[in-house]
Amino acid sequence: MIKTSYALNKVLTAVARQHATKEKLVDEELTGHSLSEAERQALKTGDIDALYHLGANPYLIRRVFRPNFKI
Amino acid sequence: MAEIVAAALTSHAPLMTGKPEISRPEQRERLYAGFHELQRRMAATRPDVIVMFVNDHLQNFPYSNLPAFCVGLADAYDAPSPGSSRFMRIPPRKIAGARELSMALLEQGLASGFDFAFSYEIDTWDELAVPLHFLTPEGDVPIAPIYTNCAAPPLPTPARCHQMGAFVGDFIRSRPTRERVALVATGGISHWVGTPQTGRINPEWDQRFLDHIARADVEPLLRLTWAEIERDGGNGGQEIRNWIALLGAVPGWKGEALAYEPVMEWITGCATVWVHP
Repeated sequence: MIKTSYALNKVLTAVARQHATKEKLVDEELTGHSLSEAERQALKTGDIDALYHLGANPYLIRRVFRPNFKI
Repeated sequence: MAEIVAAALTSHAPLMTGKPEISRPEQRERLYAGFHELQRRMAATRPDVIVMFVNDHLQNFPYSNLPAFCVGLADAYDAPSPGSSRFMRIPPRKIAGARELSMALLEQGLASGFDFAFSYEIDTWDELAVPLHFLTPEGDVPIAPIYTNCAAPPLPTPARCHQMGAFVGDFIRSRPTRERVALVATGGISHWVGTPQTGRINPEWDQRFLDHIARADVEPLLRLTWAEIERDGGNGGQEIRNWIALLGAVPGWKGEALAYEPVMEWITGCATVWVHP
């Protein structure tokens, strides 16, 4: 079953298009997005595993949270 | 009539050119040798245009608008753009678009039941820049890219990609021109990017895939599901759709793997394959 969160991917797309990489996002970057509490926490902690399991696209996770990957 | 004179399959990864020094020299040299041999063979066929089967990495198409198949209609394509040039360490350049061929493909598709989307402006990444850096160092052959959604599931099935490629092959061979057309598909083979398994490569799966191509035995590949590819080839492995589409355009042609290297440092199972009758 494919799990996709449009809200998560919308946030990540917006950040990725600024060509910025982040370790975590802040409240200001999440304003106006309809995120669940789990999604909000995953973005605010840069938890790449949680983001993946919540339905964020891995390419977007990689682009935004590049510093959080070991490789 | 137009003629398909060359066909090549290659992986793409920004680190292939962006960070060559982190890879093991012997692997890098074997892979680069494969690219150079592809370049030599392709140049010998004197192509007038390159039809490319490629994919976006969510640089371009957002989740608000995601085509399964999209024909590029741009006047020119960044390969790479000035911004990504720094990351890929390739000087920025533009490759001319084969606008007339692309528009004819789009129109014939719509008239024949293949409803491609189209785009006059495509934000490119490594899918064009890295392979073309090796294959057309002069950048003097126009390209007609066809983007398949390999990155944002649900994705078109491998069977549908193969049908799309078959349509493109028939379209090319029916062109009332004397064009010499090269086909290039980029992406794959196995790699996990941005997932919890980032960095994983599955050389056994890659080799089986290459073996199928070597025998022109594509039917089993057409039955692969998204879940099977995701499990065995990773999310990056979904890019084999581009290869499968190309193989649809040249039925019966066989793939000769010139190089295969599972380059851990570039997190990609990297291959260069020459496809011939």
